[in-house]
Amino acid sequence: MPEALSDFWYALSPTAQDALLFALLLAPAILLGLVVVAGYRPFALVRAMLWRFRWTSLLFILLIAVSVGIGVGLIAQERGLRQGTARAADKFDLIVTAPGSEVTMMLAAVYLQPSDVPLLSGRVFNDIAGSENVSLAAPIAFGDSFEGAPVIGTTAGFVTHLSSGALAEGRMFAEHEEAVAGARVPLAIGETFTPAHGVGPSAEEDGHQGHVYRIVGRMPASGTPWDRAILVPVESVWEVHGLASGHAPGSEARLGPPFDADYFPGTPAILVHADQLWANYALRSQFTTAETMAFFPGAVLASLHALLGDVRQVMSVMAVVTQVLVTAGVLTGLIILMRLFARRLALLRALGAPRRFVFAVVWSYAAFLIGAGALLGIAVGFAASAIISRIVTARTDILIRASLSWPEFQLVAGFVSLTVLLALVPAFLTLARPVVKDLRG
Amino acid sequence: MDLALAVSGLSVRGDDGRAILTVESLKVAPGTAVAIRGPSGAGKSTLLFALAGLVPVAAGSIRWGGHEISAMSEDGRAAFRRRFVGMVFQDFLLFEELSALANASLAGAYSGARRGSIREGAAAMLQRLGLPSDDGRTVATFSGGERQRVAVARALAADPAIILADEPTASLDRAAADALIDDLVRLARESGKTLLIASHDLAVHARMDRLVEVIDGRFCGDVAQHA
Ligand SMILES: Nc1ncnc2c1ncn2[C@@H]1O[C@H](COP(=O)(O)OP(=O)(O)OP(=O)(O)O)[C@@H](O)[C@H]1O
Ligand SMILES: [Mg+2]
Repeated sequence: MPEALSDFWYALSPTAQDALLFALLLAPAILLGLVVVAGYRPFALVRAMLWRFRWTSLLFILLIAVSVGIGVGLIAQERGLRQGTARAADKFDLIVTAPGSEVTMMLAAVYLQPSDVPLLSGRVFNDIAGSENVSLAAPIAFGDSFEGAPVIGTTAGFVTHLSSGALAEGRMFAEHEEAVAGARVPLAIGETFTPAHGVGPSAEEDGHQGHVYRIVGRMPASGTPWDRAILVPVESVWEVHGLASGHAPGSEARLGPPFDADYFPGTPAILVHADQLWANYALRSQFTTAETMAFFPGAVLASLHALLGDVRQVMSVMAVVTQVLVTAGVLTGLIILMRLFARRLALLRALGAPRRFVFAVVWSYAAFLIGAGALLGIAVGFAASAIISRIVTARTDILIRASLSWPEFQLVAGFVSLTVLLALVPAFLTLARPVVKDLRG
Repeated sequence: MDLALAVSGLSVRGDDGRAILTVESLKVAPGTAVAIRGPSGAGKSTLLFALAGLVPVAAGSIRWGGHEISAMSEDGRAAFRRRFVGMVFQDFLLFEELSALANASLAGAYSGARRGSIREGAAAMLQRLGLPSDDGRTVATFSGGERQRVAVARALAADPAIILADEPTASLDRAAADALIDDLVRLARESGKTLLIASHDLAVHARMDRLVEVIDGRFCGDVAQHA
């Protein structure tokens, strides 16, 4: 790229770049249309042809729409997943766990996917909590559940952090038997429950008989798996399991840090939050030891997303191939269709219509099918993405939003430009047809 | 403009290379109405298509005044038809999905600046032929006679000097056929158009200035009319 041009490009805002790219991709189609149709008014005839072969035309439009929809849906869905999972990890700056797989630990601590994870000791916890620049260190003790909702033991500080400062309803837990519910937990404030030991089908319903929690507050909706979680004081989780309370004998009633390392039964994960962004990096290396593993869920996600992006690229190629194949099929069908229309086209030429006009009629007809198919394809892709997003959201509690953005429009613009160019072929082929023979029918 | 027809030494070959029409000589003065008769398969349609510049000429020449269409390019012949020729076919060949006016003013779609006058011409023709100029109906609902009159209006909308009609009455009943021929002849004579009609119909022959014959692929010249 010449320097002036690249300077111009980089001076543009991202939106302007996207819009410009879209315009450049669509420009060939529009220019071609202007050149082909210039001076003529083929539209009444095109409308007549569309109407005459309405079912065939509709079928072609639907075929194009489905193939375009696959491409659009794929791109939109991949972005939705990426944004949704990233949003769900927003609050989790740095996680410390026992050494193992970062992905497994992240799935367990951030996305609350049940997993058996070794515990970190009270000494480790106090080390972390006492480190410089750590503004919040909170245990995330998972393992129990109530009717499918994970019951997580943690501190009031973490609940506040997760709710961005304010609960949606009620108040923070202040007693061992109190709990704060996620936005979508089907328990009202004041209702009580007994947690089951474990999560999922293997949970022991009566594992914690006699331990009753009362809901006293509710967190605002976050579009994350935490909307289904019930948060309770970590001390009570330990007690329910018959372990020490985290505090020295005599101060068992206490809730929250500091904990006494000798009476700290362990936590599978610790969330660390530093007020300064840079401090996170120092903390990560500080807690990367033989006993502990520290990782940024955001970074783990980014590498997963890169993988997802690779998959998307492979699938995009497949989607483009499908689109081109479908369009080639449609254009072949068009050549056959033009045979049905040959008599009318021959009539036009017998009456003295320029060849270019007949060409414009056939091309405009094809271009209309392609244009309508592409527009409908955007709708199909969006609808598919919306449906898939709902299903994924329902299954994972990670809010996936279906949206349309520039890449989809750019894909469609490129597709339209390429295929209206291909549509020149059937238009040329109709010109080669013998006029008198077609006229005789 | 003097668009006298002069055909000489014309030979048209079919796809198989066989001569399907030869015309030693045919001259038609401008403004003349000529009927072309001949048995089925004789070459009447081929003659009309040749005169319109629609079939390639193997030998000889076709001239309309100063325009030697047998020597023109395809685009040149199309332009000639656009400017000077109106055509009517046996089975109407209308766009069923369009209104009478849209069919009659079809040429407006590709005639650029003449669009307006073609549309006016088409509307005037439809009116003169007793058809509703535009009541929103498509011609799909029209009777055979009405359809053929739309086709005539289409042929005349751009006010061509030459009208070529290939069996225009063949799909019509007697009364409709007579009415159509009366209209066609009247409109052609009014503005001095040259009219060539291929037809088996004696009633058509009787209304023309001349009757010529094609037999077995050979143009045989004028036939005396016994009224
Ligand atoms: N492209 C072609 N190749 C070979 N033969 C052809 C071709 N076009 C027409 N013919 C033949 O030429 C002859 C003349 O055909 P044409 O249609 O001109 O006859 P016609 O006099 O109009 O007959 P009709 O009264 O049945 O309409 C026919 O035998 C026809 O089969
Ligand atoms: Mg014939």
